[in-house]
Amino acid sequence: MIKQQIVPIVLTIVSVVIIYLALQLDLSPPMIVGDSMQPRAFPIFLMALNLFLTAILAYQIFKTPPKKPEPMNRVTWLSMVLMVLFYGLTVSTDMFIAIAVVMFLLSLAWGERRLLVAAANAVLTPFLIFLLFDNVLRIRFPRGILMNWYYG
Amino acid sequence: MYEALSALGSVVLDPYLLFLIFATTIIGIVIGVLPGLGATTGAALLLPFTLTMDPVHAIAVLATIYVSATFAGSITAILINTPGTSAAAATTFDGFPLAQRGEAGRALGIAVIASTFGGIVSVIVLCFAAPLLARVAYEFRPPEYFALTIFGLSMLASISSGGAVKNLIGGVFGVWLSTIGAERVTAIERFMFGNYELYEGLSFVPVMIGLFAMSELLVQSKMANQAVEYIKMKAVQLPSREDYKKIWKTVLRSSGIGTFIGILPAEGATVASMIGYSEAKRWSKNKEEFGKGSIEGIAGAESANNAATGGAMVPTMVLGIPGSGTTAIILVGLMVHGLRPGPYLFNEQVTAVYQIFGSMFVANVMFLLMGLYAAKIFARISLVPAAILWPIVFALSVIGAYALNSSMLDIWIVLIFGVIGFLARRFGFAVAPIAVGLILGKMVEVNLQNSLKIFNGEWWQIFTQPLAVFFLVLAFLGLCGPQLFRLATRGSFETKDGKSN
Repeated sequence: MIKQQIVPIVLTIVSVVIIYLALQLDLSPPMIVGDSMQPRAFPIFLMALNLFLTAILAYQIFKTPPKKPEPMNRVTWLSMVLMVLFYGLTVSTDMFIAIAVVMFLLSLAWGERRLLVAAANAVLTPFLIFLLFDNVLRIRFPRGILMNWYYG
Repeated sequence: MYEALSALGSVVLDPYLLFLIFATTIIGIVIGVLPGLGATTGAALLLPFTLTMDPVHAIAVLATIYVSATFAGSITAILINTPGTSAAAATTFDGFPLAQRGEAGRALGIAVIASTFGGIVSVIVLCFAAPLLARVAYEFRPPEYFALTIFGLSMLASISSGGAVKNLIGGVFGVWLSTIGAERVTAIERFMFGNYELYEGLSFVPVMIGLFAMSELLVQSKMANQAVEYIKMKAVQLPSREDYKKIWKTVLRSSGIGTFIGILPAEGATVASMIGYSEAKRWSKNKEEFGKGSIEGIAGAESANNAATGGAMVPTMVLGIPGSGTTAIILVGLMVHGLRPGPYLFNEQVTAVYQIFGSMFVANVMFLLMGLYAAKIFARISLVPAAILWPIVFALSVIGAYALNSSMLDIWIVLIFGVIGFLARRFGFAVAPIAVGLILGKMVEVNLQNSLKIFNGEWWQIFTQPLAVFFLVLAFLGLCGPQLFRLATRGSFETKDGKSN
């Protein structure tokens, strides 16, 4: 029962937390707000509406329980873990190193068996995109091991 | 009038614009034939590449992606029974069976002609309907705009995927996202958690890339090793005279249906193609052929989905209310390039607006030529292994998101919204309502605030404005109409044993 209602439960928690956070917002002096509304009013109204809609959703699920979603497969989990790895590598080394490593591992996780193809894709794609953005769009990328060497 | 006509004509005299439309048509078709990518993801990924372009060229690129990718979804729908875009799902019903009978070339020929006709009809309607609607919208004040955005949000309930309640929850969540940042009047910081990069609010582009491209990557990951049945063909065949006789009424009808559905806020090519297909079946003399390779079925679905592209541009450009997920991105493109969507656009930027319309017209002609002569080559692109394709999408997503503001925060937003979008889709929520809600959110709040100021804080005065009431009644009917209709007709649909049918 609780498992079936997991979505309404999560939505309720999120809505209540947002209402709580909205109630912590500063009140603006009436002189500035005038006849309009306080900055906290609109988000609170939205979340109240969300709670109402969530109650309807919970009722719908109670009346007609949905099919249980298939468990997430290994590749999906791995892809999400690689996103976390991307964050870690970007912060600690360089964004382009992180992209290349994650692209390579993503290819392998998705079933690519030709290591050379995966490696070539992981190196050439970010390199070509970098050349385009750096030379044509004049975008400065965040400094890291590679960018420090490139920008000097 | 003359300014509009000369702007339309100037498209063919601008070689750089023609080159851009040509190149983008190729990219759009490639994106459209790759299962999972589609027009919305393609537009989200290409938006950062348009940053340094002239506004007209940039929007022309995005609009071309929209029309060409919407058409190209039919290539894989016919050849491998996998719609390249959701809008081509109805094309598989008859396209693939016809291809299995050895008539893949004929099926593609019908799809190309019907798509082009639908697309061109909708651009013509766009050229006439948009300025007329702009003239009406010019009179809108904050109460009318507030009611209109509520109507736009209410239409989210009828988006094809997800359920009405789930879509509305997504829309409300999207509107809440728009409240992140400093409040416009009082500058009070809302939900920023001390991060001053959020002062101006969430950037639309990284949220769109996350919701559409990154979440799609995670959705596609469960199909990483799936094999597809590929049907070979010799060449695309132009429809015969008999074929034209059989489909012309269907194409005309579906072009009208598609354009009208596209104009409705938040409805898009997918809904249009489904209705175009079912109407083709309803009016056909050969109903028994449907599902077994009917050319009317292909024509009905294809002309409707491409007609919806022009229709969806009407509310996007005239009212600033996106007609679909892709037009939500085009709307972001307009804002990024300093073109303020709304009726004023038709007074202040007449040349730019009609050049964009002209570009859409040219794009339709370009994909006609490419569809007829190069569909066979494009179809092979759909066989690129997912293990190579999706890592490229990952790289494009993160670098593209960074490029807009040179902000690392935008990259983290892509990843966060990728996961949010994936989880939402996993539990049956569509992501388009979140995107539309985010775009409309500011409009809703600002127009409500301004209305309250106009009426000295008496919110009920909004109901004294006839146009505002009109839109609010439409919103109410959009939300409760189906239930009311069901209640009202319960008796007449009951069978003899008392059970409702």
